[in-house]
Amino acid sequence: MKNNYKDTSIIKQLMRDKFTLIACIVLFVIYFSLLFADFIAPYSKDFSDRNMSYAPPSKIFTINENGKFSLPYTYTYKREFDPEAMQVDYKLDRTQKYYLKLFPRGEKYKFLGLIPCSRHLIGVAPEGRLYLLGTDINGRDVFSRILFGGRISMTIGFLALFVLFPIGLLYGGVSGYFGGKVDMLMMRFAEAVMSIPSFYLLIILAAILPSNMTSIQRFILIVVILALIGWAGFARVVRGMVLSIKTQEFVQSAQAIGASRLRIILKHILPQTTSYVIVAMTLSVPSYILAESGLSFLGLGIQQPDASWGNMLKEAQEYINILYRPWLLTPGFLIFIAVLSFNLVGDTIRDVLDPKSKVR
Amino acid sequence: MKKFLYVLLIIILVLFALKFFINADIPELETLKTAKTESLAPVKLPASPKTVTINGIDYLQSQAPVGGFGGVLVASTIGEGPKTFNPFNTKDATSATMADTMFDGLVATRAKDGEAVPKLAKSFEISPDGKTYTFKLRRGIKWSDNKPITAEDVVFTWNKIILTGLGNTSTRDSVLIDGQLPKVEKTDDYTVKFTTIKPFAPFLRILSAPIAPKHIFEPAVRKGEKYFQSFWSTTTPPKNFVISGAFKLKEYVPAQRIVFERNPNYYEINLNGEKLPYLDKIIYLIVGDLNNEILKFEAKELDTISLRGSNVGRYKKREAKSDFIIYNIGPDTGTMFVAINMNKRKNEQGKYYVATKKQAWFNDRNFRYAIDWAIDRQNMVNNIANGLASPLFTAESLNSIYLNKKLANGHPKDLKKAKEYLKKSGFYWKNKILYDKRNNRVEFDLYTNAGNTEREAIGVMVKQDLEDLGMRVNFKPVEFNSLVNKLVNSLDWDLVIMGLTGTPLEPHNGKNVWYSTGSLHLFNQRPDGKATDRFDWEVKLDKIIDEASLKITFNDRKKLYDEYQQIIYDEKPIIYLYSPIRVIAIRKKFGNIFPSPLSGVTYNLDEIYVKQKVKSKK
Amino acid sequence: MQILIYILKRILQTIPLLIVVSLISFFIIRLSPVDPLAELKLNPSISKETLQKETERLGLNKPIYVQYALWAKAFVQGDLGVCSTGESVAGKLKERIPNTLLLTALVILLTWLVGVPLGILAAISWKTPLDRMLTVLTSIGMAIPSFFFAILLLIFAVKTGWFPVGGLTSYNFNEMNLLGKIWDITHHLILPTTVLFTISLAGLQRQMRANLLDVLDSDYVKFARAKGLSEFKVLYKHALRNAINPMITLLGFEFASLLSGAALTEYVFQYPGLGRLVLEAVLKSDINLVMASLMMGAVMLVLGNLIADILLIFTDPRIRTVNSKQ
Repeated sequence: MKNNYKDTSIIKQLMRDKFTLIACIVLFVIYFSLLFADFIAPYSKDFSDRNMSYAPPSKIFTINENGKFSLPYTYTYKREFDPEAMQVDYKLDRTQKYYLKLFPRGEKYKFLGLIPCSRHLIGVAPEGRLYLLGTDINGRDVFSRILFGGRISMTIGFLALFVLFPIGLLYGGVSGYFGGKVDMLMMRFAEAVMSIPSFYLLIILAAILPSNMTSIQRFILIVVILALIGWAGFARVVRGMVLSIKTQEFVQSAQAIGASRLRIILKHILPQTTSYVIVAMTLSVPSYILAESGLSFLGLGIQQPDASWGNMLKEAQEYINILYRPWLLTPGFLIFIAVLSFNLVGDTIRDVLDPKSKVR
Repeated sequence: MKKFLYVLLIIILVLFALKFFINADIPELETLKTAKTESLAPVKLPASPKTVTINGIDYLQSQAPVGGFGGVLVASTIGEGPKTFNPFNTKDATSATMADTMFDGLVATRAKDGEAVPKLAKSFEISPDGKTYTFKLRRGIKWSDNKPITAEDVVFTWNKIILTGLGNTSTRDSVLIDGQLPKVEKTDDYTVKFTTIKPFAPFLRILSAPIAPKHIFEPAVRKGEKYFQSFWSTTTPPKNFVISGAFKLKEYVPAQRIVFERNPNYYEINLNGEKLPYLDKIIYLIVGDLNNEILKFEAKELDTISLRGSNVGRYKKREAKSDFIIYNIGPDTGTMFVAINMNKRKNEQGKYYVATKKQAWFNDRNFRYAIDWAIDRQNMVNNIANGLASPLFTAESLNSIYLNKKLANGHPKDLKKAKEYLKKSGFYWKNKILYDKRNNRVEFDLYTNAGNTEREAIGVMVKQDLEDLGMRVNFKPVEFNSLVNKLVNSLDWDLVIMGLTGTPLEPHNGKNVWYSTGSLHLFNQRPDGKATDRFDWEVKLDKIIDEASLKITFNDRKKLYDEYQQIIYDEKPIIYLYSPIRVIAIRKKFGNIFPSPLSGVTYNLDEIYVKQKVKSKK
Repeated sequence: MQILIYILKRILQTIPLLIVVSLISFFIIRLSPVDPLAELKLNPSISKETLQKETERLGLNKPIYVQYALWAKAFVQGDLGVCSTGESVAGKLKERIPNTLLLTALVILLTWLVGVPLGILAAISWKTPLDRMLTVLTSIGMAIPSFFFAILLLIFAVKTGWFPVGGLTSYNFNEMNLLGKIWDITHHLILPTTVLFTISLAGLQRQMRANLLDVLDSDYVKFARAKGLSEFKVLYKHALRNAINPMITLLGFEFASLLSGAALTEYVFQYPGLGRLVLEAVLKSDINLVMASLMMGAVMLVLGNLIADILLIFTDPRIRTVNSKQ
């Protein structure tokens, strides 16, 4: 376990790799836009115009009907039901132009959750509609919902890790350090949890969530469930590491001084596993993002009317939507990009910190 | 070299961005309306089958045009596939469909008008007092193992299986009149007499229940209930099945398909006197969900499919150039609704199922009216069903022969009216937030089953509609089985969006929903099943349901069922939303397709045939 | 003899494990508010009496610990009970397990055939662009949500008509000759295998790479190199054997994780496997079915690990000492 790199050099090493650099930028852009979602999104996640269900993305024009350049503007759509073809069509309503405005007033929100504000990054006059990525079945702006849904999808993994890691570290640490019967009992229990196929455990747990919860409670509980799935495997690895660390001299000297056991575990042994922890963290975030999307696919994850990339993707997966409403697929590609970026960054961090790591 | 690549990449990106932003505003030409597809001329249904006697055998003769023999029809069933092949154990739609394919009942429903007509029976007579039904059976017809079908089989099926309550007891319960079961007697080998204690209108249609071969079922029945439950299960080898219907099970591959083959002993012939059915095989593919079904139809693995929403537009457009044809057979029998929990009871722990303040709202008719007037059905139809549905206001579905047409058109959304109703009951607004007269903020939960895009979308819309009234609605999609547990056991729900299937022919089948002790009396479920604390209108409904079942003529019943719909419309414990329109696509190669709003498209599997060498018309 | 005792000990150790697994699973499922009879209850034509009969048949009216005791007793006697639909659990599992084993074995075989060489390739070209490319490529496979990938592939199948849309066999399967049958099954297996293969390839490739790097860094490889052995010999004679050993231990886990990882893929492809069955059973709280399959999953995992351990005893003499230490 070589840990003699300085922080700066780690970052430098990370950046040296082109893929990692791009991945870092992508992740930064994603998280940055999620942080300022209220501001960037033209609409709130619940804003809906029910005459605009499944409207295609707004067409933005920069050359006007006379062939001259103009400030960008857009039209609203008009919905028509053609009873002969049994189909709903959207046509541009060319009676009124709506110019794109920077920082227009829109729905009120709290900037960063603190400062009341009503300016948005971009928008059109209130009567117009700016749907950068079209709308969903309820006529809600997909672009805005992606931003708000991303907040959930992209943080759920991290939060799960913050629940899981202390448990896993402590469990593995105690088990490995004490050894003997304690170790044996604790490991058998962890193995029992591990031998329940994780995805089934996940859906069983998700299916028992009480139904009378607010969306925040549900979110937190899903985080906890995700953590419950992952801790055992993690604890096992930590225990293995602790087993080898505890025989090292500095631990034995600490024991000789008479430091308490808990103190030895927390102060001397666990810090030695840091690089493993960091690597494991970056490499397991993606699996939680994917797990959330899988749960949502089955209708057990984040529920309507809240948005998450998983439940938005669920709506998109109908054949007709993939063929005719490709804008609904955006969350799928975002999941793909985010997960890929995490994997690339994680791989590089692992190579830098811990080249021989066994972490998958 | 490397640098050059980067520059190139960036240029491409910029160009791409510009392409997105620089758009010329050139009005697209008004596209010509797509060439009119062969509009659906009303299909003329052939005359009902007749009975003809050839060599002493009473055949059923189909009056449909003569077709060619051979070929396969591949249909689908959504879900997990059949759970049993025993027609008396079926508890789900798929198993029931399978049983119907293999077994005929004494009577069948005529596609044209829903009348019950003789099928396995040659004819029947109802005595003038409406209590005795005398059935003459066909002579000389046989089970698939060549044993004759006689009165013995009918009497055995009714007396030993159905009326003793073996398997699914629902048929028995539906013929229970004032606690008395009907009597079934054999007069001679080909005559059976059914006697009910009172005239009972739904009885004739219930006689479409399958008839079992006595020589096969008797040993199983003797072994008792438990054995019977697993008799003719999904693991029974198909060669053991002895059936009366047009098709016999050939193979069941779990989670994949069910294959039926022609029953050579079937008693129906065509106009040339050749034995039906035409098709060699019928195959039901077991598909997990609607999406998969569509994909399979697109890949031509399926021959027929029921289309929904925006798929219809897609298929309609391609119909002229393709190998399938689309039939619009009108509103579905299913209903979609919001139910309101009006329960005022306490559970075993002495806690109210519904909080007292909510009880006051939900039991307030004006409150329910307000919800009804606030809901935007038209936009639900437009958005969620893609225009392919009709707003619904009655407990009977729109294609029901008992539909109360006065109510069917209902009313549009009217927020003002909704607010007036609320004001009438002392509700008031402060900062656009609704409070009741005891100053409680109006807030409740709205449930539906998660994972159903359609219902979730309805939920979002209902939530918004009600929030326009200043109510606060917590919309909670819940996993299906948990939701049902809430609805029928724990009863701790407020509002729910649900759908139920129904029948267009017999309102009495909705008894479990509307009867005050019914097992699906959602809005005021009585866990003990005792008819206590009934609302006045519940008492009235109970009476109407009882009375209407004892009337024989259609007009007498219609009058009562009109009233029953009126009461529900007036009280609104359940607020109906819409019913989808059924559109069915089927390959053009099939002949004798006679779509009917009551029965669908492939109800006459015995008459459907594959057109020979007709690749495409014209 | 020593080995026999070891095996026996391991088998004995699994018994408490199975008990804990069954307790956890049973109580979690039964505490859920899911109603196993939901579909029946929502069917207007099902009578109260039928519902009552169903409740009794499934023992839902008894307290939960009694239900557990009854289940455990039957399980020990080898009776897996009946599903909520009345079919026998053992029968249902028997229908599905071969299909799942077929798919899983195929996927494991493929990932090993491709993943191990790719891992070796990456390790020997460590820190070169090739290594990096391999990692990125396998990462791409890992990053697509499996169900989404599966749906896209299905649409591909529809559009091109090259592959059947889900399932395992065509409807006229039974009329085919042997060759036709084999082709039919292969044809159906291609797409689901592709999905699972792409998803699990990355893990194996990385594992192999890490193991080999580990071994290449060890003293004895350095020694072999110092001795002047050719790089080829060092790699294939010494390093590789030792790098593959730890992979064998993974087999058990890989099998278990595929079992559950395949659920969504099986679901989308309508594959008649265990994954889809359990998924549906869990959603319906079909306790006997869920318990039987969870227990089986656990048994398979334990068995897999056991076999891997035994294999290791033969391939890697060091392990015996390690085991006695534990």
